Amino acid sequence: MGKLIINEWVKLFRRAGTMVLVGIVILMVLGIGAFLKYEEIQNPPQENQNWKQDLTVQIEGDRAALEETGQNNANLKMFYERQIAINEYQIEHDLAPETNYNVWSFISENMGAIGFIGVFTIIIAAGMVSSEFSWGTIKLLLIRPMNRSKILLSKYITVVLFGVMMLTILYVVSAVVGLALFGLPEESLPHLAFVNGEVVERSLFLNLIGEYFLSSIDVLMLATMAFMISAVFRNSSLAIGLSLFLMFMGSSITMLLAARYEWAKYILFANTNLAVYFDGVPPVEGMTLTFSIVMLFLYFVLFQLLAFFVFSKRDVAA
Amino acid sequence: MTSVLTLKNVKKTIKRKTIINGLSFSVLEGEVFGFLGPNGAGKTTTIRMIVGLMEISEGDIVICGKSIKDDFTGAIRHIGAIVENPEMYKFLTGYQNLMQYARMHNGISKGKIAEVVELVGLTDRIHEKVKTYSLGMHQRLGLAQCLLHDPKLLILDEPTNGLDPAGIREIRDHLRMLTRERGMSVIVSSHLLSEMELMCDRIAIIQNGELIDVQTVNEFIDGETALFSFETGLINKPEVTWLKSEWDATITESGFTVETAREKIPGLIKKLTAKGVDLYGVKTIAKTLEDRFLEVTSK
Repeated sequence: MGKLIINEWVKLFRRAGTMVLVGIVILMVLGIGAFLKYEEIQNPPQENQNWKQDLTVQIEGDRAALEETGQNNANLKMFYERQIAINEYQIEHDLAPETNYNVWSFISENMGAIGFIGVFTIIIAAGMVSSEFSWGTIKLLLIRPMNRSKILLSKYITVVLFGVMMLTILYVVSAVVGLALFGLPEESLPHLAFVNGEVVERSLFLNLIGEYFLSSIDVLMLATMAFMISAVFRNSSLAIGLSLFLMFMGSSITMLLAARYEWAKYILFANTNLAVYFDGVPPVEGMTLTFSIVMLFLYFVLFQLLAFFVFSKRDVAA
Repeated sequence: MTSVLTLKNVKKTIKRKTIINGLSFSVLEGEVFGFLGPNGAGKTTTIRMIVGLMEISEGDIVICGKSIKDDFTGAIRHIGAIVENPEMYKFLTGYQNLMQYARMHNGISKGKIAEVVELVGLTDRIHEKVKTYSLGMHQRLGLAQCLLHDPKLLILDEPTNGLDPAGIREIRDHLRMLTRERGMSVIVSSHLLSEMELMCDRIAIIQNGELIDVQTVNEFIDGETALFSFETGLINKPEVTWLKSEWDATITESGFTVETAREKIPGLIKKLTAKGVDLYGVKTIAKTLEDRFLEVTSK
């Protein structure tokens, strides 16, 4: 099994295209860093002495909004309640909002790039099985003393490893660039999270790793779906197209549906953002972390079963 | 001699259409077995079933005592194959391609890889990317790929497709060497008859998914009678009539031809000289495999 994964890894990284993807991620982080540093030099941040008054004004505004719209909309209600609770907590514990840009804010900023990693991982996953067919090498690959399911599993593991590697690169490069350009914050502030109606302090470093992990769950699910389409239809364009479409449109469509229908909670994309259970509001009221995990697991198993069943049974005529 | 491969009443149906209808034959140890048939006869489908790329609808295929259906890995480890063109990873070097396959079998050493590369004559170019290879080098790398694990049975589907005469000759020499010196069995499929004649010990002809005939190459060509061509001087009328009525001869520009058994030739020559016909030469016109093939398949 290990040797099969080495094989896939070699095939992946001996192609120029893969290295380009890795390069893009690194360049992107450097670019964002340079841009933010330039901004910071142009407009140096000002220490805000009156932050307590400002926050109080904001709290009052939020309270009014909560009275007005909040009662009809569970999501907005939760949103305002969260804002108010966190701001009150800051005033109470004398935690001034961080004004200086630092390494943590930079890493957090770059979480937006996980979307790109999602796209890249989908591209890799979509080509994993279908390109063996289009190259014709599938004929030499499947006549070895290895079961087809083992070969498919090694390919899937390679996709997951690729995704994990890209995320690690993003996090580590962001940390290095962030440290070099912006440095550590003067005093280490905790991350304030809103859980079950209470404000909790968390370590920033661990919180960021956790957030990276949570935001990559939809990448994992979409890559798994692309991999399944690739194995079932042997067509990488279809796999890339469909997965990217769902990646960009899936959550908006789900949100639209979730506002009206309760069954929207069974849609894959209603469950991919697990971060809402740690710090935020779920798309449909009454959804729980356990529910989402079970749904994700069911989708995962469905994709895998389809891929493995079709791949092991198929006649190779190409 | 023990048989390396046995097909037992193998059938293949795709979408209710029968592609292969009950093939049974065996390939013995150390022989080159030809698989001959017109395009679309089912050669490639049969080969794909033997190597497990396609499922068998009915019947069974046994390789070195292991059924490809029940013990796929046990059976396939004795096979080295090229199915149609040997497609390789073009972005890898020849050596990296071989490493891919070496990792999928147990116990293939660096030395073994070097030995196989040497055998197919790719030592100079093995560390170059496959996209720079010519068609002939592709074929040689393909051959190297299937020899890595010392298989008992080599399956080559159209191995000389697209090769020049020198390349074809080379493949032929490799096959002779592998069967004579290493006791491998080889299955070769082709529709190029003249080539099969030179390569194979036995030939199976299939048509429309059915086995028509399995024969050893020599008996396949010779048959009972043969065609003889006589080169003579001018033949006079009475002799012509005599030849036509007694021998069923065909008069040609340089003499005549006769279809008869070999042992009757000396008698004919004596009679011709007695009749005063000038005789310059006699030769057999061997029926080519092509003639026989067309004869058998058009029945």
